[in-house]
Amino acid sequence: MWAFMNEVLRRTWAGFADRLIAFGPNLLAMLVTILAGAVLAGVLHVVLRWALPRIGVDRFAERTGIATVLEKGGIASQPSLVLAATVAWAVLGVFALLAIAALDIEIAMGLITETFAYLPQLLIGIAILLLGGLVAAFVRRSVLIAAVNAGLPSAKLLAGGAQAALLVLFAAMALEHLGVGRHVILIAFAILFGGVVLALALAFGLAGRDLAHTFLERVSRESKPGGNDFSRHL
Amino acid sequence: MSSHVPFDPQVERHLAELGEADLVVGIPSFNNARTIGHVVRAAGAGLAKHFPDHRAVIVNSDGGSRDGTPEIVASVELPGAATVLAAHRLTPVHRILTPYGGPPGKGSAFRTIFAIADLLGAKACAVLDSDLRSITPGWIELLLGPVVLESYDFVAPLYLRHKYDGTITNSIVYPLTRTLYGKDIRQPIGGDFGFSGRLAAHYLSKPVWDSHVARFGIDVWMTTTAVADDFRVCQAFLGAKIHDAKDPGSDLAAMLLQVVGSVFELMGTHASRWARADSPESVPLFGFPHGVGLEPVSVNVDRMLGIFRQGAVDLQEIWGRALAPDTLRDVIRIATADARPFHFDDALWVRVVYDFALAYHKRVLVPDQLLGSLVPLYLGRTASFVIEAADADAAEVETLISALADEYLRQKDYLTQRWA
Repeated sequence: MWAFMNEVLRRTWAGFADRLIAFGPNLLAMLVTILAGAVLAGVLHVVLRWALPRIGVDRFAERTGIATVLEKGGIASQPSLVLAATVAWAVLGVFALLAIAALDIEIAMGLITETFAYLPQLLIGIAILLLGGLVAAFVRRSVLIAAVNAGLPSAKLLAGGAQAALLVLFAAMALEHLGVGRHVILIAFAILFGGVVLALALAFGLAGRDLAHTFLERVSRESKPGGNDFSRHL
Repeated sequence: MSSHVPFDPQVERHLAELGEADLVVGIPSFNNARTIGHVVRAAGAGLAKHFPDHRAVIVNSDGGSRDGTPEIVASVELPGAATVLAAHRLTPVHRILTPYGGPPGKGSAFRTIFAIADLLGAKACAVLDSDLRSITPGWIELLLGPVVLESYDFVAPLYLRHKYDGTITNSIVYPLTRTLYGKDIRQPIGGDFGFSGRLAAHYLSKPVWDSHVARFGIDVWMTTTAVADDFRVCQAFLGAKIHDAKDPGSDLAAMLLQVVGSVFELMGTHASRWARADSPESVPLFGFPHGVGLEPVSVNVDRMLGIFRQGAVDLQEIWGRALAPDTLRDVIRIATADARPFHFDDALWVRVVYDFALAYHKRVLVPDQLLGSLVPLYLGRTASFVIEAADADAAEVETLISALADEYLRQKDYLTQRWA
């Protein structure tokens, strides 16, 4: 009986060793790939942290409003450093996926294929969000300046509302594009916007009747010659 | 270059028949049927009275009027010899009516007039606003005379204005133009100018006709180009300028964008010129300065101060992108202080204007937003000026404006050092 048990154990260990030897190269390839990715990501990170500020990325981000968007999103670092870190992590992420692919395991291969197929959608979704942030910031500034110049006391509220509306719109577009809760997002967005528009119409049309009348009277008075408070600035 | 301006076949034929002319008076128009007749009659009378031996053409460059403006120009009867008290035979004044092409705006209308003047080989030209009510035949002598008789290239108008009138000119355009280009032209954006045929050809050669400057800033562009490119310039006193109130509810931000935006844009174009400009020199004045009654100007100082103070609260972040830190700090200080009377001193205002010029040059923000955010600052400064000049007469107001212009000159190094 001991001989039988020894034989079973010997065969089990031998089988394990065979499988390990067969799998070994894959494992080694995975480790080498991860290591290469880490080194490359590290080198890229250092190079980009040095180069990007020098080619004016921070100035460009300041001018276009990207820096403000990042700041409002809670990212205090300079845009060039954020970009360098993002690129480095993206490279590391790609090498991590390649490393998993090196294992040549069917489930892992399927996962990687789906990931790479989804990557363009993800990138477009991020681009939509970034674009939405920029557009919303731009519109907020325009509305704020116009409202202050018109002497409206709730200028900041108006500007903030315009920015929030655009951010919600672009977020909904990004989520719709990514296929995340597609119908839920669409319906929620329609209800929200429809509700806001209806509420504003009711408020202005019913509760703000007198205010609307006064406002229109003032506009009509200012459009008549001599009615403006300072007409000849040139 | 004038061959690049297309004309209708009828206009081409008319020009060919005319061949050449000594003087061209251009009147751009758009729906000015109520007023253009008077302008054309005054121009005709002026040409007849003061330039009887010169071949003259009145050119109406119209932007597609639907109220019969060109028909009125064509049909209005020009004054005869008896009206202008002339004992000599009058050379007939020809008329050319043409629509203008290109982007809509005064710049395209002027380009057409310059092109016609160039084609006809005119020695002297003038352009007049089509809604002038105070124009007299004497304006023609004053705008064309310095060119014809004294060989000047550019005649800027000098009007008598209410002390609260023209505050963009008084607080920004005049002192900035004087400081940058070294010529003391009191009203660089008057609207009615005289210029030589040589200068008209020079204007035509510039590649600006599709730009923002040509559309909205043609007046300041003409003056700046004449001065910066070293043409002989002078001024002519024309008295009061009374014209139709142009859209009194018009957007102040749009005005600042158009006029001040053009000034800032031209600073970029002529940077090498103004960086080395010497102290300003006076510009000869033709005509006889005299006093006239002026229409009162109503001012709401409280509203202006309210917008300025609101700007100091709501626009701080945006102002911080244009203004230097100490400029912003001083602006916030005067906005939040309860000093009476309110005062926005010259030195601070000049720093504000220079900081905005630098911010425009460096494209810190899109121009619309940058110049839109200047409005509350401008209103604060204007309110301060109105308060300071409340009891001042015309001479005292000119002293205040001269002091401001000197402050611009004193701080010029601040601008030149930061420009590059």
